Amino acid sequence: MNTLELMPTETHAIDGNGNNMIQLPYGLLGFERVHQYILLTRPEEEPFMRFQMVGEVKRAFLVVPPHFVLANYAPDLSELDVAFLELNDPSEAFVLNIVTMRAPGEATVNLKGPIVINRRTLIGKQIIPVNAAEYAIRHPLPVA
Amino acid sequence: MLILSRKPGESIVIDGRITVKIMRLEGDMVKLGIDAPINVPVHRQEVYDEIQKNNQEALNQTVAKLPQLKAKSKPTSPKAAAAAKTPLPYANQR
Repeated sequence: MNTLELMPTETHAIDGNGNNMIQLPYGLLGFERVHQYILLTRPEEEPFMRFQMVGEVKRAFLVVPPHFVLANYAPDLSELDVAFLELNDPSEAFVLNIVTMRAPGEATVNLKGPIVINRRTLIGKQIIPVNAAEYAIRHPLPVA
Repeated sequence: MLILSRKPGESIVIDGRITVKIMRLEGDMVKLGIDAPINVPVHRQEVYDEIQKNNQEALNQTVAKLPQLKAKSKPTSPKAAAAAKTPLPYANQR
């Protein structure tokens, strides 16, 4: 089993301050104990990014901003999630969706459980939107 | 498993801070009202399980080479690229 390899790297920040360490107080579903991630970006990999665990196990998820997948993607956050993430304005939300390679040339992206990060606090959460029923967990991703 | 009988309008309290109320019965559906502190995530079991499974698959994937998004789905102009970073609308904004 191969996992995504670590990239030495150049990263760029989502908050404009060179800061790309993300705290997920609840972790990701199924990975509740991992609370700290680093978002790694390399120009040649755009629009994909690697969302890598910080700690002993340095495994990474492949993620993509949803606008590259579905132009009108609009997850509705519950009041609780908006309050938890302390989002004062939609512009504070940075959204990433997890990509799964199923086979060469065959990938899916999870639109049902996006990771929403507050750009100001860099605190995020994998949320289940109120309108989750509108979105697929294995949305086909046109990859070459 | 603890099993309790409740009527519509009645509640149970968990740990002094989470209240689950039977709102009403609609055919074979039970509507629950849940009051929990903000730091207690509440999910429908099947959606939670599905996302958890997908997360595990995503981490176990074999990736020799990163995929390339097909041109069609790639923002081509600086404006489109900027739009990709445009925040999403969300409900219940105060």
